[in-house]
Amino acid sequence: MIGEILTLAVLRSGIRLATPIALAAIGGALCNRAGVLNFALEGMMLFGAFSAIVGAFWTGNTYLGVLIAAVSGGMIGLVFAFLYLRYRVDLIIMALAINLFIAEMTVYFLRTFFGAFGSWSDPSIRQLPDIAIPGLSRIPVVGTLLNGHNIIVYLSWAAALGAFIVLYRTKFGRHIRAVGENQSAAETVGISVPAVKVFVLVISGALAALGGAFLSVGHLTLFTRDMSNGRGWLGVTAALFGLNHPIFVLFAGLFFGTADAVAVRLQTVTTIPPSLVQFLPNIAAIVALVLVGLSGRLKRGTLRMRTRPPQPLAGAAVAQKEQ
Amino acid sequence: MTPRRQRQLLDAALIPLLAILSGLVLASIFVLLAKNSPLVAYRELFRAGFGCTALARCGFLTTLERATPLIFTGLSAVVAFRSGMFSIGQEGQFVLGAMVAAWLGYAIPLPPVVHPALILVLAMAVGAAYAYVPAVLKVRLNVNEIITTIIFNSIAILFMTYLVNFPLRATRGSTAVTRPIDATAQLPEFLPGSHWGVGFVLAILAVVLVWIYLWRSVTGYEQRMAGQAPGFARYGGIRGGRAAIRGMLVSGALAGAAGAIEVLGVHHQVLQGFSVGLGFDGVLVAILGQVHPVGVLLVSVLFAGIRLGAQIGLQITTNIPRELGGGILALIILFVSARSLYTDLLAWVARVTGRQRAPGKEAA
Repeated sequence: MIGEILTLAVLRSGIRLATPIALAAIGGALCNRAGVLNFALEGMMLFGAFSAIVGAFWTGNTYLGVLIAAVSGGMIGLVFAFLYLRYRVDLIIMALAINLFIAEMTVYFLRTFFGAFGSWSDPSIRQLPDIAIPGLSRIPVVGTLLNGHNIIVYLSWAAALGAFIVLYRTKFGRHIRAVGENQSAAETVGISVPAVKVFVLVISGALAALGGAFLSVGHLTLFTRDMSNGRGWLGVTAALFGLNHPIFVLFAGLFFGTADAVAVRLQTVTTIPPSLVQFLPNIAAIVALVLVGLSGRLKRGTLRMRTRPPQPLAGAAVAQKEQ
Repeated sequence: MTPRRQRQLLDAALIPLLAILSGLVLASIFVLLAKNSPLVAYRELFRAGFGCTALARCGFLTTLERATPLIFTGLSAVVAFRSGMFSIGQEGQFVLGAMVAAWLGYAIPLPPVVHPALILVLAMAVGAAYAYVPAVLKVRLNVNEIITTIIFNSIAILFMTYLVNFPLRATRGSTAVTRPIDATAQLPEFLPGSHWGVGFVLAILAVVLVWIYLWRSVTGYEQRMAGQAPGFARYGGIRGGRAAIRGMLVSGALAGAAGAIEVLGVHHQVLQGFSVGLGFDGVLVAILGQVHPVGVLLVSVLFAGIRLGAQIGLQITTNIPRELGGGILALIILFVSARSLYTDLLAWVARVTGRQRAPGKEAA
């Protein structure tokens, strides 16, 4: 029974389905480490999916499309950071607004410029090719699992490793963590808090957009309305589930992806409701949060972050003085 | 009314108005990109969303129908925010309330009036219970409520998908949908042509009740103090944790009611992917409505009107895609949340017109 469900093909598809979630989650974890809650991952991913396919269509080169997606995702992160740092726009409100804006306007542009309704594709757009790594295919099981994915899958693993090295093996990474743990202390010792926040927002935007590109030109070759379909939010959850540690976060993403793949598989081989399997990662995340909360080890950090609910604008000047 | 209060009210009205104007101006770029005149587009949008040609085919009444769930989810956000809880779990509570209504709407035979009333009460209880968990996690374990409510939203949506596809699925057809609810459970409509009806009256009632609760009751005062000035509240003997939990219970009940009323009054059944987004819209409505019940009422109508106007006015009479409506709303939110932009601007206007501001304000 289990063998019938957890086949190699299912696990492989789990790795693929995990990629956008993991990419968003790694970016989200970086932001969390710097004490910035990035809830715009969903919108950034959707925008990446859109700009990748449009970029691939205009340049005639899918790799260029992926690059365009990453750059434009980074740009959104930059705009985000600018509004946040210069105009003190509340990050969470801005994220909800940007998610809504991107969800609506991608469809708007699709209809205006390509005359497409629900979804859009063009025969000239080529799917991102799978890459066979020589030698890897000779290893049994592991080789079959890990070999022959497209570049974004490998990039997601590289991103996890890169984020780990930056966070734990570089001075700048120590600065990022310092800002997240105690911003005023970090300021006092001369760390540039704005530089750290701009960095994490730009990188997370680029990573989430890369995840989006995987959806539109890696997994399929089309763009549909609301294509990210909650994967950015799953990224937020996976980042927390992985305790904001890049390597754990990658595995948290794989957990979500595998649950998705198993859910699809269940539909074909059994009558077990697929959504019951998709519950698992979410329930696991809640359990993890409760355990972390119970252990009381994290004195500060995202989980314990004090978020101030939106206040009325009248007397906004007074409210700002208090902050 | 003191001059200070007058200025507060002026600011409270002026900033959203400026934001709406800025949003419309910025969105007109997109109208121009679609090779249309913004003036014509906005005229069509407002005519369709807020106009009324005949009582039976009245756009504005449909706007009121669509504003109804937003008023409830908006109020839900207001109560949570005012209690110091940044809950964005309205989506999940809404969905659960809707499922209670969809199930009990046909599962238990009851006489009219009693049937919807019982469903409403149960939906509110379920919504409150679902909001209770994140509230306790926040108060007891200090786990950030935004994070938990987001995860709770996905769990609720998955649960709805499961219910609609399996235990409550009506037919083996291609779309997953629940059985229509009994006629006894449906909320009456006032006029043919729209689902505008009893639900809207309940929404107005909720606006009044929430206002009375927050501003004219002792518990509401504790609520607001615990949210606005936690230190002061503690000093005054208010137990902030208890106030926060109570706030979340009320907030969850309101969002649950929103879901139930949407099913009882409008859809009469639940389809797969039912009304996803109404919860998030509630958060946005609360923010734009100055986290105040009356603001929520006005902004909900504005939200629903712009959406409807874009759907009918733009897409049918011009060739502009209806998604422009959501785009405009997002821009308005963005402008409203860039509050220092406007306080800068207002301060500048005040300087130019020579209006004196209270000392101490300039320093901020």
